[in-house]
Amino acid sequence: MKVEIDSFSGFRIYPSKGRLFVRGDSKVFRFSTSKNESLFLQRKNPRKIAWTQAYRRMHKKGITEEVAKKRSRKTVKHQRGIVGADLAAIAARRNQSTQERLSARTAAIQKAKADKKAKEDKKEKTKPQRTAPSAPKVSKAQMKGSKGGR
Amino acid sequence: MIGLKSTLNVIDNSGALLIECVNVLKQKVNNGWGGVGDEIVCVVKRARPLSAAVANSATAVKVRKGDVRRALIVRTKKIVRRPDGRLIRFDDNAAVLLNNKKEMLGTRIGGIVSADLRMKGWGKVVSLAPKAV
Repeated sequence: MKVEIDSFSGFRIYPSKGRLFVRGDSKVFRFSTSKNESLFLQRKNPRKIAWTQAYRRMHKKGITEEVAKKRSRKTVKHQRGIVGADLAAIAARRNQSTQERLSARTAAIQKAKADKKAKEDKKEKTKPQRTAPSAPKVSKAQMKGSKGGR
Repeated sequence: MIGLKSTLNVIDNSGALLIECVNVLKQKVNNGWGGVGDEIVCVVKRARPLSAAVANSATAVKVRKGDVRRALIVRTKKIVRRPDGRLIRFDDNAAVLLNNKKEMLGTRIGGIVSADLRMKGWGKVVSLAPKAV
């Protein structure tokens, strides 16, 4: 058993009471009494008829018992992990003490210096090797030139 | 309450638009009033213009103005009472066309129909309708 509500006044319609009207656009309207039905068909606006629920809600009549819904909206900030730095990594980084950070920094610097040095050494080693292969080239060209020159 | 000379809208795609009741087919009484779920004999008063292609094809049903056909009432302005005590009324009188063997002529129904049809044995019509109240 379902208790419907009146489409005009907002009253409750118990089973076997009232009427159901289906309009040409297939919209269904329920009326609890002929009074509601008549006013609806006269195209009266329920918001202007003082005893309807629509009017009472609009003019806030009899709502003092209901607490006004005023809850402060606080946006909660969530920490999210990003691609490349998941939540655990972010937390670890944040919780590093300054000491740790300093030591990590110096270690990184040292490492960078050492790498740079190693690179430079590598370069020097390969340089003399590079000049040696170029020497025969020069001589070949010379030879060719001498041949062509005759 | 559809009787002689009552006009009904046709809500299927058979081609007719407006029909006028000529006789209400009820078992013992062949006059009186027709309600939702009753068969009536009707005259097509207004029909959609038939295109030449439709007129030539043998399978399509051709309903022209002036045809005398049977129809089934699906909506009435007069209130219908349901067994649970509800009273239902529509905004207009509507019908779908049938042939002599109680089969529908159209293939689709465009509009709401009364669910009383199911109780009177026209479940097929109800199933074709987009909505039934």
